[in-house]
Amino acid sequence: MAEARWLEVSLLVNDELAEAVAEVLDRYVSQGVVMTREVKFNDAEDEGTPFGPVRVYGYIVIDENVEETRQKLEEALWHLGQIQPLPKPEYRPIEDQDWMTAWKEHYRPIPIGERLMILPIWLTMDSSDRIAVKIDPSMAFGTGTHPTTQLCLAMVEKFVKPHQRIIDVGCGSGILSIAALLLGARLALAVDIDPASVRSTQENASANGVLDQMEIGLGSVAEILRGQFTMRQAPVVLANILAPVIIRLFDAGLAELVQPGGLLILSGILLEQAPAVIDAGLAQGLVFMEQVSMGDWVALVLANPIS
Amino acid sequence: MAKKLKGVVRLQLAAGKANPAPPVGPALAGFGINIMAFCKEYNARTSNRVGDVIPAEISVYSDGSFTFILKSPPASILLKKAAGVEKGSAVPNREKVGKVTRAQVREIAEIKMKDTNAVDIEDAIRQVEGTARNMGITIVD
Repeated sequence: MAEARWLEVSLLVNDELAEAVAEVLDRYVSQGVVMTREVKFNDAEDEGTPFGPVRVYGYIVIDENVEETRQKLEEALWHLGQIQPLPKPEYRPIEDQDWMTAWKEHYRPIPIGERLMILPIWLTMDSSDRIAVKIDPSMAFGTGTHPTTQLCLAMVEKFVKPHQRIIDVGCGSGILSIAALLLGARLALAVDIDPASVRSTQENASANGVLDQMEIGLGSVAEILRGQFTMRQAPVVLANILAPVIIRLFDAGLAELVQPGGLLILSGILLEQAPAVIDAGLAQGLVFMEQVSMGDWVALVLANPIS
Repeated sequence: MAKKLKGVVRLQLAAGKANPAPPVGPALAGFGINIMAFCKEYNARTSNRVGDVIPAEISVYSDGSFTFILKSPPASILLKKAAGVEKGSAVPNREKVGKVTRAQVREIAEIKMKDTNAVDIEDAIRQVEGTARNMGITIVD
């Protein structure tokens, strides 16, 4: 085991004290401080709201001065505690690590369905019996570790046919479009309202050698229907967003993107939200095809019948 | 995509100088955040403000992807600048290191209003006053 090189010091305090504690810590620790808060969800549409006390962290280098630094820090905190009560600082030794690569431990190759394998971009495949979808986890949703991404990928593998065109609304990292193309689809239109996602999709498409089969742009259902992109309808439409957003997109014309006889693959839906999403789709003239689940999450497949 | 927050991490760093050593490494590695991508983006966005402390508030999503926004400098730094002092008092209950006026506190509160959870300006002023008191900076009329 590597020798501890850092002493982590942290205190759990209220909002008002957090700045003052951070200021004190900042005098004694290396290169700045960190504050973290818990997240709660107010309703189904809430992405998450920070709440509760703040944990303030700093890191002291373990060298011959560490005890002296710790003592000075404790004195400063004691004085601060004379104004408002403070909890005792908590200490934890931290081994020296290669932080550049430590975060990568969270990512492993993930087999999906019969034929796909999500592969973090820094790894290579040992065997070639699966199609590798290389993804660089970064600033766009869709790293491959979330159940909704995995459910959608399984549906893509099951339903996308060779030479088909697809539309991917809320493309995030581009993982779904890229997988569809690697499975034989011909063209993909991938849109997202987040510029970082558009950039991430371009990078991932390039890493997988499918950039020339993709049109990637900033926008959503309205922009596609307005004719802002070359594709306005496709036999397969993907939307892995969140249930309330999908229901709103139905009002904006999501079902119109699915050509007659085509399929709409949806996810980002919690089990209890599925009936409302299905109802919203049926109200647009779609028919229910399939529901698959993983943990609390489901993916739905709806079809646009040939009238 | 099913973007739900896993956590919120605020890093108070020197503009343009983020690197994978602590505090960035240990703060972000546990969430599976691409550390180099964060450092590169933070340094690019803050490179024109070298010398300042620019907090970054990182939203970590359920699959390890993340976004971040830059915040105004910490109230403690704005207070030190306003009071013309290098650092806060080591014994804030007994030794005062400097003074700021109520108008200066209000000015700082207005800057902080944008990115604190203060419900109104009075609440923000109260928070800045609290920070000043805890740093040994006296507020004068």
